[in-house]
Amino acid sequence: MTGSRSRRYGLRLVAILYLAAILLGPLALVFFRTFEHGFGAAWDALSTAETVNAFKLTLIITAIAVPLNTIFGIACAIAIVRRRFPGKGIVNAFVDLPLALSPVVVGLALFLLYGRDGWFGGWLLDHGVQVLFSLPAMVIATIFVSLPFVAREVVPTLREIGDEQEQAARTLGANGWQTFWRITLPAIRWAVIYGVILTTARCLGEYGAVAVVSGRLQGETETATLRVEERYESFDLAGAYAISIVLALIAVLVLVGMTAIRPKEEAA
Amino acid sequence: MSIVAKGVSKRFGDFAALDNVSLEVPTGSLTALLGPSGSGKSTLLRVIAGLETPDAGEIVISGEDATGLAPQKRGVGFVFQHYAAFKHMTVRDNIAFGLVIRKRPKAEIRQRVDQLLELVQLQQFGHRYPAQLSGGQRQRMALARALAVEPEVLLLDEPFGALDARVRAELREWLRRLHEEVHVTTVFVTHDQEEAMEVADQIAVMNDGVIEQVGGPRELYEEPASEFVMSFVGPTTRVGESWLRPHDLEILLAPSEDAAEAMIERIVHLGFEVRVELVRADGEKVWAQLTRDGCEELELAEGQIVYVRAAAERVFA
Repeated sequence: MTGSRSRRYGLRLVAILYLAAILLGPLALVFFRTFEHGFGAAWDALSTAETVNAFKLTLIITAIAVPLNTIFGIACAIAIVRRRFPGKGIVNAFVDLPLALSPVVVGLALFLLYGRDGWFGGWLLDHGVQVLFSLPAMVIATIFVSLPFVAREVVPTLREIGDEQEQAARTLGANGWQTFWRITLPAIRWAVIYGVILTTARCLGEYGAVAVVSGRLQGETETATLRVEERYESFDLAGAYAISIVLALIAVLVLVGMTAIRPKEEAA
Repeated sequence: MSIVAKGVSKRFGDFAALDNVSLEVPTGSLTALLGPSGSGKSTLLRVIAGLETPDAGEIVISGEDATGLAPQKRGVGFVFQHYAAFKHMTVRDNIAFGLVIRKRPKAEIRQRVDQLLELVQLQQFGHRYPAQLSGGQRQRMALARALAVEPEVLLLDEPFGALDARVRAELREWLRRLHEEVHVTTVFVTHDQEEAMEVADQIAVMNDGVIEQVGGPRELYEEPASEFVMSFVGPTTRVGESWLRPHDLEILLAPSEDAAEAMIERIVHLGFEVRVELVRADGEKVWAQLTRDGCEELELAEGQIVYVRAAAERVFA
């Protein structure tokens, strides 16, 4: 009895210490440093035009990338689980590619495609479309790195619920679209929501790929994460910490928000 | 409202699930597709429903060719073995689903759902979720859901297979009564011959992707067309080249010219029925089914030498 109890508490202690050392400690330190010189200093750092612009840009990119990847992720998961088509294995593997590929490589690949000498870049520039060093490239890069999360959450849930409910809906007169909205989507909604949380977090935090394709023009193509790096390199530690804190707060808010709207799970 | 399948074939890879199957289900009948697992009975049902596309052959429902028709346009109600309950909806919403899809007026839907809840005796459970129901209740809900849209045909895929024996017996009787009330053309799949015999008025026995025989319960039992049908629809015992029902094996105490000598190896009392296992002089094992009274009258004992005679036997080519 006592043996198993002490083992249980021991395990908890290890988990908490690990989290504290890796996660909570550094976060707390950032928090402390931000407000070391009072709220005023932190506020000043945050309210510069460049920083405000950086947050705006991050939010715009996220607002475009998350809905697109949600729709793509759900469609992709349904195709992988429910449909049979040639090349399905390849699609399945490709969805995971962004997880395996370093974001910097993704950025370089976009350079090769959309640069002046790239496959599409020259043609697009001739027609007055600037992709690199502007919003389109940053959105494409972010979409790419945050692609797998919704599909990866939804695929196992779709497998688990099986297709009998969908078949039942069909025999009751529902067409494919009605079946999706009334049966499939409600059944996978928590997986979708969880996927959206992960995608959002990834979009807010993306650094590598965006750093390569954005050109990092201050006040123009600088996202919040790039701004943190830029402030740090300019020896404005208070500014870097302040922006970091806001990024962390947004992430926490998303998590808390999702937990709050999630009702008590109806028994499976 | 009749269903006709003409020359239906369906392969899954190398496996022929259905091999040129033809079947006629008359209007208003209650037909069972009976067979062991892998015999193609579920596939045939799913082809009728439009949930599988046949490789060859056609399906005609109520005189109209339905072969290429999507399931939602066939006017069939389908009940799945594992209920396929919509887990995120209450019992009421489950039953109302087909009516909501058809955009019927709210008042009409409410009234119809109330009727169906009463029909399947779930009046108290309308606001529960499927997870809060027992298996039998869930299956009754699934039946009500299928009946809500007034289908021309009702198809049930092993509807009672996932339930325990007592609930199964209850639901069988209930299905029989429901069919008498509603009179919708019904086809159900089962691997349980007793279930098929008890509920259906027409049985199609399937094996290895073909229909072996179609007939009434009594006809199948007494006039089986093949060895498979004979052994699938009831107990059999074999004497030489011929097959017979164990209750057709007579036990005589005195020798007779058409009876063979045998020794009683074991007597098993099963209540009303008594099973007598014998070894004939040539070493072949047979068994006879007697009533308790019949057995007592003969005063049989293990080890006793008796004479067995086949009262009705059957030889299959």
